[in-house]
Amino acid sequence: MKYQSQKIALAYFLVAMVLFAVQVSLGLVLGWIYVDGTFLSEILPFNVGRMLHTNSLIVWLLLGFFGAAYYLIPEESEREIHSPKLAYLQLAIFVLGTAGVVVTYFFNLFEGNFLLGREGREFLEQPRWVKAGIVVAALIFLYNVSMTVLSGKKTAITNILLLGLWGLALLFLFAFVNPANLALDKMYWWYVVHLWVEGTWELVMASILAFLMLKLTGVDREVVEKWLYVIAALALFSGILGTGHHYYWIGTPGYWQWIGSIFSSLEVVPFFAMMAFAFVMVWKGRRDHPNKAALLWSLGCATLAFFGAGVWGFLHTLHGVNFYTHGTQITAAHGHLAFYGAYVCLNLAIISYAMPHLKGRDPYNQVLNMAAFWLMSGGVVFMTFTLTFAGTVQTHLQRVLGMSYMEVQDQLWVFYAMRFGSGVAVVLGAVLFIYAILVPRREVVTPGPLERDRLAHDADHVAAE
Amino acid sequence: MTITRAWMMLLVLSTASTALAASGMHGAPFVVAVLALAGAKAHIILARYLGLAAAPSILAGFDLSLAVVLILFMGLALAA
Amino acid sequence: MTEQAGERPSVLDQLPGELMMWVLIVSELLVFGAGLAAFLAVRITDPAGFSEAQSHLHRAGAGVNTIVLVTSGWLAAHAVCAAEAGRARRLRGLIAGAIALGAVFLVLKGMEYADLAAAGISFETHAFFTFSYLLTGFHAAHVVAGMVLLAVVAVPASPRAVETGAAFWHMVDLVWVLLFPVIYLL
Repeated sequence: MKYQSQKIALAYFLVAMVLFAVQVSLGLVLGWIYVDGTFLSEILPFNVGRMLHTNSLIVWLLLGFFGAAYYLIPEESEREIHSPKLAYLQLAIFVLGTAGVVVTYFFNLFEGNFLLGREGREFLEQPRWVKAGIVVAALIFLYNVSMTVLSGKKTAITNILLLGLWGLALLFLFAFVNPANLALDKMYWWYVVHLWVEGTWELVMASILAFLMLKLTGVDREVVEKWLYVIAALALFSGILGTGHHYYWIGTPGYWQWIGSIFSSLEVVPFFAMMAFAFVMVWKGRRDHPNKAALLWSLGCATLAFFGAGVWGFLHTLHGVNFYTHGTQITAAHGHLAFYGAYVCLNLAIISYAMPHLKGRDPYNQVLNMAAFWLMSGGVVFMTFTLTFAGTVQTHLQRVLGMSYMEVQDQLWVFYAMRFGSGVAVVLGAVLFIYAILVPRREVVTPGPLERDRLAHDADHVAAE
Repeated sequence: MTITRAWMMLLVLSTASTALAASGMHGAPFVVAVLALAGAKAHIILARYLGLAAAPSILAGFDLSLAVVLILFMGLALAA
Repeated sequence: MTEQAGERPSVLDQLPGELMMWVLIVSELLVFGAGLAAFLAVRITDPAGFSEAQSHLHRAGAGVNTIVLVTSGWLAAHAVCAAEAGRARRLRGLIAGAIALGAVFLVLKGMEYADLAAAGISFETHAFFTFSYLLTGFHAAHVVAGMVLLAVVAVPASPRAVETGAAFWHMVDLVWVLLFPVIYLL
């Protein structure tokens, strides 16, 4: 760690990992409700559990992005963060808001209240006071990081990162636009939801990935930057009008079907570019970085994002297909693998990379961390397959043959049971990850014959300690 | 070919497309002729206006993609 | 850290002009290509309706517009040469000509739109018009953007800026020569 203020990231990453644990645990509960519909129906109704599952996901990913920004901006700009105090204040506001959200969702004390009541828009259910808090915290954050970058070195990584973070914060303002007309409501709603995950977040993802590649592979900055600009341009070109793929059936004019189909089909391109980028950098790079876990998460991120966001997204993005698959388990399959690949893996990659520095350890070989990668990724991939099969069956029975919704759900039970199993693997993987990051002080694995040979003969090879 | 020669070629090819349409020709020969003329125009713009003549391998890549797309267009147009 | 010695020159290094502009050009070609393919695919379902609808367009006007655009592109290409030769006055004159022809294109296009609107034809009238409005409208928006861009690059008048602006303008040309036969002639 070269700059003292990078330490801010530690607090952000810790809170993020707590919420990560909450998120996957609630996912497991929800997975069981799919198997046994009456489970916890009095204490934790499905809709409340789902709100907590999705909201905690978004919040911890955002906290991870903030932490990543606080970690990498000092290194890139070669400056301490403008004000560490403000950074901790920002985190405190987020923690308070999160606690407020949990209380509001659980007990629903202020139903209908303008300021305190939950808003009832999917993913944007937060009461208005929390939304206002998020805006204040975001402003503090943007002020803090922008001041740092403006006074220091400006690199492609900080440029694209700031572009993504500013866009993300400004688009959140549409969370306050809530027209009574449901079609208009949805139209603005997607300005937040779609333009986050398929626009500004992609810029954040590309820049963090670029930072990791720069550090882990040692490829020239010039090469990394060229890739980064191309990826950012592709993401915005396809992603902005790609919003049209949400405007097929909400009451917007019919031409959106073609705009949405064509542009969102191209959304696979930036994800392919990110995957190509990661692998080409590793292949070109000659640095043998000892933090193998961070590299594994980075490559896993690029690959699973390509499949989850790119391929599984394309699967149901053409309006002729979406007419049938809309709102089935196909969407759930895509949502899980896309979020996991693109944003969960990304955060866990930067956490895996930064934590040894933040905690003052030498990079160690993180065998447990890598085991967590395979367990969690295996779980999510299996979950994606079960949900894809469930969605295919559901589409056929419900949308083609016209069977009723609940009748079809009965037919899907076996897939839901298998999905629960994969959920167990994910939760175990998450717990293992958190343990591996926080607990072991030394993790020594005796080198085997191959490793011993490399250490003896390959000058570039660095021992993992 | 200079830029001006390229421009004159484009004028000739454009006039040819319009003349073909005005001649009342239709059916498969018309589809193939009109799209081939479009391909020729696109090639000239890529090579001369956009300067890809200086990068033959990239120009060949564009030409190949263009040919594939135009053949697809021909197929779709003839299927109607 | 060790760097690869004697890295192979990349094919991309041969690209004339700005890499980012080429990324944009290829992206635009993909979008318009997909749009035109979708148009032709939907046309299979109703050839008679499409041909009836097509008769409402200004075929001759669009033919003239092809001439207008390729001529404008010719001026822009000369402007790049002028920029490289350091002749700023000539360059600005050529760019002004290219922009003026862009305006002529928009006027002719606008007359067609006005006539269609007067006949009560909108996006929803027929699938043909959904596509023709989308594709030509999107293209016309690029003409406007290209005119602005050309005006912007003429200010610093550096060869690199002018080359980038002109490349965008040629892309607008390129899209039109592919779009025109498919929408207006077939």
